[in-house]
Amino acid sequence: MSILHSANLLRNPEDRRSFIEKCAKVSFGLSVLPFFTRIAEAAEVPGAVKAPNAGLPGFGKAKRVIFLQLNGGMSHIDTFDPKTGASKGPGSIVSAKGDMQLTSYLPETAKISDRITVIRSMTAKVGVHASAAYLMRTGFEQRGTVQHPTLGAWAQHFLGTSHKTLPSSVTVNRSSNHGNGWFPAAYSPLPILNPTDGLMDTKSPVSEAVVAKRTGLLAELDAGFGGKASDESVKSYNEFYESTFQLMKSTDLKAFDLASESAETRARYGKSKFGQGCLLARRLVENGVRFVEVAIGGWDMHATLDDRMEEVGGDFDRVYATLIQDLESKGLLESTLVVVASEFGRKPTFEGGGRGHHPLVFSTVLAGGGVKRGFVFGASDEKGYAPKENGVSPGSLHATIAHAAGLPVQTDIITPAGRPMQVGNKAAPQTGVFA
Amino acid sequence: MRLLALFACLFVGLSAQAAPKKEAKKEAKKVEPVIKAVVAPAAPVAALGERAAIWHVWTDKEGQKLDARFCGLAGEFITLQSRDGRTFHFKTELLSAEDVAFAKSCVDLARRNSFSPAVIASAAADIDRLVASVLTANKQTLNAPATDEQFLRRIYLDASGRVPTATEAATFLASNAPDKRAKLIDELLFSSGYTMQMFNWMADLLRVKDTFAKGVPAFTFEDWLKARLSAGTPWDKLVSEMITADGRLSDNGATGFMLFDAEMPLDGVSNLMTTFLGTNMACAQCHDHPLADWTQRDFYQMAAFFGATDGKDEAIGSAIKKAVRADSSLPKAAVLKIEQMNTFRMEDSDKQKLTFPKDYKYKDAKAGDPVTPALIAWSKGEKSLPVYNVNTKTPSQLRDEFARWLTSPQNPRFATNIANRIWKKAFGLGVIEPVNDIDDLAEASSPELMAHLTFVMKAAKFDLREVQRVIYNSKTYQASASATPDLGKAKYLFNGPIVRRLSAEQVWDSLIVTAVGTYADNVLLRRGDDLKAMALPAGKVTLAELKNAVNRTTKAFSGGGKLAGAPKKAAGGSALGLANGYEGDKPISRFSLMLARASELPQPSSETHFLRLWGQGDRLLADSATNDGSVPQVLQMMNGSVGKLVSDVRSAAVLDAMKAKTTEGEVTSLYLSYLSRKPTAKELAAASKSLTDGLALTDLAWVLANTREFLFVQ
Repeated sequence: MSILHSANLLRNPEDRRSFIEKCAKVSFGLSVLPFFTRIAEAAEVPGAVKAPNAGLPGFGKAKRVIFLQLNGGMSHIDTFDPKTGASKGPGSIVSAKGDMQLTSYLPETAKISDRITVIRSMTAKVGVHASAAYLMRTGFEQRGTVQHPTLGAWAQHFLGTSHKTLPSSVTVNRSSNHGNGWFPAAYSPLPILNPTDGLMDTKSPVSEAVVAKRTGLLAELDAGFGGKASDESVKSYNEFYESTFQLMKSTDLKAFDLASESAETRARYGKSKFGQGCLLARRLVENGVRFVEVAIGGWDMHATLDDRMEEVGGDFDRVYATLIQDLESKGLLESTLVVVASEFGRKPTFEGGGRGHHPLVFSTVLAGGGVKRGFVFGASDEKGYAPKENGVSPGSLHATIAHAAGLPVQTDIITPAGRPMQVGNKAAPQTGVFA
Repeated sequence: MRLLALFACLFVGLSAQAAPKKEAKKEAKKVEPVIKAVVAPAAPVAALGERAAIWHVWTDKEGQKLDARFCGLAGEFITLQSRDGRTFHFKTELLSAEDVAFAKSCVDLARRNSFSPAVIASAAADIDRLVASVLTANKQTLNAPATDEQFLRRIYLDASGRVPTATEAATFLASNAPDKRAKLIDELLFSSGYTMQMFNWMADLLRVKDTFAKGVPAFTFEDWLKARLSAGTPWDKLVSEMITADGRLSDNGATGFMLFDAEMPLDGVSNLMTTFLGTNMACAQCHDHPLADWTQRDFYQMAAFFGATDGKDEAIGSAIKKAVRADSSLPKAAVLKIEQMNTFRMEDSDKQKLTFPKDYKYKDAKAGDPVTPALIAWSKGEKSLPVYNVNTKTPSQLRDEFARWLTSPQNPRFATNIANRIWKKAFGLGVIEPVNDIDDLAEASSPELMAHLTFVMKAAKFDLREVQRVIYNSKTYQASASATPDLGKAKYLFNGPIVRRLSAEQVWDSLIVTAVGTYADNVLLRRGDDLKAMALPAGKVTLAELKNAVNRTTKAFSGGGKLAGAPKKAAGGSALGLANGYEGDKPISRFSLMLARASELPQPSSETHFLRLWGQGDRLLADSATNDGSVPQVLQMMNGSVGKLVSDVRSAAVLDAMKAKTTEGEVTSLYLSYLSRKPTAKELAAASKSLTDGLALTDLAWVLANTREFLFVQ
């Protein structure tokens, strides 16, 4: 039984109460919804909610999503939305593949830009890093009374877990920060703070022989309480232990192990945290993880923008182009949506060698997962100050990604606090970006 | 040694008053570093409780004196408050023997002032009677009485936050005293573990975080809460002090609760309604509640009680910036911290500024109009209660008026809300669920029981220790546990407490006590004092004062230790960097783990810490802790640093077991340490066999820590 019902079920108080009780029981640990357990159990009636957007272009094409977070606020004018005149930055404007213009800071991306869709008309109002990053990550404005989930948790709610042993969502180079929102804690992404370390504590510090003896004795001594448990939460823990034993023996663990990649591949992605993070993201989605966030900082270029673009922008450029090519060569690009998102853009004017925060218009880039190739969606005005056409809110971006991932958008679910909510905060998906 | 020096300084203040000025100055200089003993900022004496204050001139072993009021004695710690309002918290071993005896007599007096055994018995019997009548009416019965072993483990976890040690368990189980359960309840309710577990519980409810907003450190709020808890401050006083708190966090830790939402004051109102009244008004913040009776107008009228309150003093921020411009040599980081610390300040103006929002769409008010404060009521008659007679004419008093209504025994939900939450703490489920939405009292699994608990709460004058004493002494609490009920099918009628996974803090604290023994109960983290260094004096911000504050701050945070525990970095979780913040005993560290109890670690711990993996909340919202399971939890318990800690030869539980002369004694000792019971014959045989078959006691400790039985309370 789904804990989250469609809103119209809940208009009368009795339904509401029983609904809330159902929600409540989850928080007591009764239905400890494991991210590592069998799909059949965790899936909350996948498909039970009818998606009003199911017939629209692009629906469900993205089986996986890699969500790259460029923290600090990527200057749209110095990357994907170059301008002439007073707004122009230190980089020159170059014609890139796929009939679009980029800046000279993105030479590698220019070679693969015939695979991407640039949205040049993102628009929002929040110009403070943390709140804006929250908005871009969840599609909702930050509030003090509710925590909104990330798309990975939404997807797990509608589609169930994505793999029998691996987590459905992972964050790389960042903490999960309540990514489950109002969904059960088990929907929270697994944080990998250092991609080269991978998943921690998967190996026992003692010898295999001792492990075998310990686990044998454990089974024997726990037969009393754990073994005969009628309590659902105790049974769930039995399963977690069982899953852990399986995972420790499982080859699935290799998904977290960058050492399994060839030296050549690792070199191609580069040694930076972002490069290794993107490589890990590719390994994870390749192995069945549905939603991976990779974060990288350094984009808050108030000063020395030229140098920073060479350095931070250059690393992004190489890694991003590598990721797109790598996914394509593995035949994964059409079913994997790669999103490049930054919390806001930067001002058309220069102040002291850099640019200030500018949420009014900025750019986001999509690739794979059924989106058009070599396409520019929407536009900013001549200065790069405001959207000129097809303004896209962060909520609408989320609805678009959700739509690509096959989730019902503009459909209420009711949170455990009794509030109706929609993925993308009621916004419509931008179906124009899909092929 | 340090403690002695520390205590000596507490007394200096008193002797210095009489001494000639010059000498006093000298003395003051000498004792400067020990100001750490002050655990809470100045506060009105009344806030620490209404019972007759016991003033006394306390004498330490060195003969120095301090005139202070007795606040509480928890385990080895005494809490005092001096005439100038400062709170002192230290180990009793520093006091003369006479004063230790006096402190104990104060406790006895306090206990005599509290419920008598007869009252406890009668209130507990009423609980049992009310539960039984509902059970009978539904053809159910109370579960069989819990065994001594079950009761022992449950009461230790509930009242002191950890499992008992092998010795503590053996002592209780061996006793034949007929009142040994009641005795143990009283002992644990006055232990230092009681304060620690209450802190954990409240930290989740009140969103206690080391930092809020842009990394502003809130250690003074934590210190304040700990001081209030060890002093036994009743809930109504505690809440009132938080709601009405004025000033900066550096001066008044109680402001921490309101300042958390300083930048989102409407959310703040919505949050406090849920926390203190179990009323869910979050929807009504933006539109009429779709499923309940609250309208957006109701919400705004409530929020208007905070419409004259400002949590941010923007003026001082720009004044500081202006001063800084005059001298670019000032260290940016320190100035920024000082600015943040001084900007967050609770103040009331004489104008209520809240207006209806621009997009207000209902006919009962106009967008942009000022809002007139008005209190909500849950039923018609309530508004004629005397407590609803509030003065809304004086804007600067609005917050105080609200607090008076909120915390009054006449408030229709205040006592019920906390009674329901305390019941849930003991039983695993509230009488009304969910506990954060109790608008409809008829939804209680037993409205009569809810009414009785509300009555007990009021009779106890909101002393949560007393209410828990009543509950723990009931047969209902002392029944064996039920499996987790399916509330979707039927309401739970309390055949007994429910089987629960230990909270993250309970698992951690239990592992800590098995690792280092009861030592951990005396390791206390207090970090707020250094923040006082950041406070700027009242009046105009001058460059000189700013420089002074920078110097004080740099000095207070030098040495790395405390700096690491300060803004932002604490959130990153370098617990080892906190070392200088401890009083009482120093924590031991093994396998990069700081072996202090959860309440004495960063709040909350870092995201990858054991506590967070096991469900400690992130404290962004109230009630954010969970007891959901996950594979990373198990990985850390089996293979991670905690797994190593458990199977370490230095483990207190293992060392205890080694003292036994026989294998049976060794196994029994470890069983008592981890599971608070003796092994069955079969378990003893299996464990003994393994010890002759290549496994050591450290392995057996690992095995017992990894049983489901260890993780659950029955």
